[in-house]
Amino acid sequence: MSDIFSFNGAQNAGWAQPEPILPDSEVLAIIPSSMLRASPPAWPRASEPELVRHYTWLSRRNFGIDTGFYPLGSCTMKHNPRVNERIVNLPGIDRMHPLQPEHQIQGILSIFYEMQEMLAICSGMDQVTLQPVAGAQGEFTAMRCIQEFHRERGDGHRNKVIVPDSAHGTNPASASMCGYEIIEIPSGEDGRIDLDALQSVVGDDTAAMMITNPSTLGVFEPDIARASEIVHSAGGQMYYDGANFNAIIGKTDPGLMGFDAVHYNLHKTFSQPHGGGGPGSGPIGVKKHLSKYLPSPLASRREITEHDGEGVGDGYWYSWISPENTIGKVQQWHGNAGAVVRCWAFYRRYGRELERMSEHAVLNANYLRFKIMNPDKEVLSKVHAMPSDGAPTDFVMHEFTLSMIDMKDKVGVTGKDIAKRLLDYGVMAPTLYFPMIVPECLMIEPTETESKEVLDKFADDFLNVLTEDPEIIKGAPYTTDVSRVDEVWAARNLILRHPGNNSESN
Amino acid sequence: MDQLPNLGREHEMLSIMGLNSIEDLFSNIPEEVRRRNPLPLPAPQSEEEIWRDAQHLLGSNIDLDSRPSFLSAGLSRNFVPTMVGMLATRGEFLTSYTPYQAEVSQGMLQAMWEFQTMISELVNLPISNVSMYDASTSAAEAITCAIRVHNKKAVQKDTIYVSELVPPHRMSVIENYVQGSGINVQLLKHDGNGHLDIDAASIANGSCAVYVEQPNSFGILDEGLMELKGKIGVNTALIVGVDAVSLGLVSPPGNWGADIVVGEGQPFGIGPTFGGPIYGIFACTEKYIRQMPGRIVGQTQDTNKKKAFTLTLSTREQHIRRHRATSNICSNETLIALMGAMHMSLLGPDGITLLAKRVAASTEATKKALISIEGVELLFPHSSNFREFVIKVPGDSEKAVSFMDSEGVIAGLPLGLWWTSHSSCILIGCDERTSSSDISSLVSVVKKWIEEVVK
Repeated sequence: MSDIFSFNGAQNAGWAQPEPILPDSEVLAIIPSSMLRASPPAWPRASEPELVRHYTWLSRRNFGIDTGFYPLGSCTMKHNPRVNERIVNLPGIDRMHPLQPEHQIQGILSIFYEMQEMLAICSGMDQVTLQPVAGAQGEFTAMRCIQEFHRERGDGHRNKVIVPDSAHGTNPASASMCGYEIIEIPSGEDGRIDLDALQSVVGDDTAAMMITNPSTLGVFEPDIARASEIVHSAGGQMYYDGANFNAIIGKTDPGLMGFDAVHYNLHKTFSQPHGGGGPGSGPIGVKKHLSKYLPSPLASRREITEHDGEGVGDGYWYSWISPENTIGKVQQWHGNAGAVVRCWAFYRRYGRELERMSEHAVLNANYLRFKIMNPDKEVLSKVHAMPSDGAPTDFVMHEFTLSMIDMKDKVGVTGKDIAKRLLDYGVMAPTLYFPMIVPECLMIEPTETESKEVLDKFADDFLNVLTEDPEIIKGAPYTTDVSRVDEVWAARNLILRHPGNNSESN
Repeated sequence: MDQLPNLGREHEMLSIMGLNSIEDLFSNIPEEVRRRNPLPLPAPQSEEEIWRDAQHLLGSNIDLDSRPSFLSAGLSRNFVPTMVGMLATRGEFLTSYTPYQAEVSQGMLQAMWEFQTMISELVNLPISNVSMYDASTSAAEAITCAIRVHNKKAVQKDTIYVSELVPPHRMSVIENYVQGSGINVQLLKHDGNGHLDIDAASIANGSCAVYVEQPNSFGILDEGLMELKGKIGVNTALIVGVDAVSLGLVSPPGNWGADIVVGEGQPFGIGPTFGGPIYGIFACTEKYIRQMPGRIVGQTQDTNKKKAFTLTLSTREQHIRRHRATSNICSNETLIALMGAMHMSLLGPDGITLLAKRVAASTEATKKALISIEGVELLFPHSSNFREFVIKVPGDSEKAVSFMDSEGVIAGLPLGLWWTSHSSCILIGCDERTSSSDISSLVSVVKKWIEEVVK
């Protein structure tokens, strides 16, 4: 095991830096002696060769999209084009400060403006802000705008937000952070929105409904426009969780469905690399009546005049504007600009053909589902129990859910066991146990960037797992760097940091 | 379009499913919500064309490295070791997601556990998470965390105290995050030296939390803060926002009673990058562990008793606790924190000390050079500064900075943009890369402005 704290490279020197521009005696005199640190932090002492080995070793113990198929439902793990990484190393983004004057940032402002416009077009919204840095922060930001909208209209008493029981956990968590009370409505037996249940909870206290469409079950909610009407006629606002936006671009949009606000997960739909959990980017779009509450500032433009500077050559001068009744800031600067630039480069690759991207995401999901659910007779005869659909439907959108409950009932193999066994086949496991309304749920999202061959192989492997000796499946995984880890042990012992340099490393 | 491996094979795949058209797959979208027209967007581009446009657009920006720059305001014009970018963009790190499947994610899990250790060492508190979005959201969520821990016993219920010198963008983030819980935000006053009025700070005793910054937004190191915990008592959380680099020289808040330490991690790992992605540091004592936000990695063992790592304390989080979660945070800034850990590992204990000395030296040298100019004064002449300090100039500082900009120097932040009462002040930011020649350039454009415009 490689332990970064065990290195002793370049002792008392470390990574070489230029000397301070004042002598030590003068530097130490600046700081009151009572405030001086007695001993430096016990950080590793890695020389460059040691550092490279350590992190290369770690990287080989980590699974990414580059390693293999990553069907993690709801997370849209598509290929990340590498020119995007090259672009964000340009000094015109990497070496930029968010408070530089407008004439120094015309290029980045023009990219911000183009992204605001593109996202508004794709979603049927009127105005977009790029400031929220994650989907959850986008949700929070939009709920804050909706909150101010209600308050200004004298509707501040509206204190309830409705979410379906199949919603992402961030929806209720974000609304709750705004001070809202959460009303969870059960889904219908087919996993779809229950309009009667919705009708029975809306009222004068409804602030908003938060919902994603296609739903977390991967199916399109055909009654979405009716749901919007119900919420609107009660005086509430409709919020679209854009986690599943990859399924619908060019086919429909949240504006057409009757939504007032939407967040986008740029890291999903537009491929900012997920980086082990972040960074993301969670812009929001709103209809006109909410736009004056958006965070500040927004990118804007007007025709260039002779008094302006050079500009970027498109005939416009770009500037920041502040919405009239802005809620202020949710991130301290202008959001994850690096992610915005990467996603700009990604969107430019498709342009008006973004619709093809959604088509292929949906094609791949349906194809994979078909291959799993329709094995040939020989395979079918060996499978202990077939999965069942998380929701009854003819076609799914960009992802689908499978219940492994029959495997559990018949041979005692859980969804988790199957997920762990799949790791031995060299793929990432699907999302496990979400949405919670599907028993023993596996949620599979292949994305548009996987070839037919990869999908065929995954379907074969998946079905093969279902034929294996149940005891083998329950003991998986076997081929990974560690066998199944004990999460309970971690929570009981809470060893949350390295004990220090003097301890024995292994 | 070169990103779609099944382009041209649609019919082959559809026919296996017994279908004729991709449109069949969208048949569950009712006509009433179908989009009628194609997206009014430009034609697809090749990688080569995208690179050309990116070079043109981003090349038209003026970057900080192209001229002497004294604009910091909480971000660092740092130098990031070359290996950081090279290693962090290894595909296994770059293209992975949250390590829910620990067995195939030991690399990122161990790297984050090591990161937690480095942050814990830096601030001298036992617990760290694997990052927040930025310094401001760290501060805001530290406050809401402290409220959950202390409100029951608090004498001043639903009340927190915040230094009046917290910059307006951070105050705005804090207000957005706390307003939902009906929290009453009170301000703590500062004296004529820019120091917290430490005796008056006793007023916060019995509230849920106090949030101060060390150094504060004017770059002032405030010795008095080391006594603050004694004034506010054990049942009020002391939350300290830090300049992470300063802790190479300055006593870590964990040594003087801080319960939660937050700050901007950006100086370690990534350039200023127009303000994001950057990452927030969040560290605390054991008391806050079950109420803190963000992901945490713990050591554990596998079924063969082999050492392993896994995400832990997940029951605080939104995907399990839903509306009762301690935070809504899901995506965070893990990759940037990883870059930070690489940078910290290369610096080592000696490197962080040297780095802090370089910043302190640049700050002092710039300060001395500027006050030698007739007409330029320090707003707080008796303060010790790290990275930033404030000068008063004879005139409107926005116009002054704009003049100096036209002379090729980014002279800092006109403080009137933050507080209208400070419209003749400039926040000067220095860093380890500030050179003697940068300082000479700044001094000469300040002199030129005074001679040509003011006089």
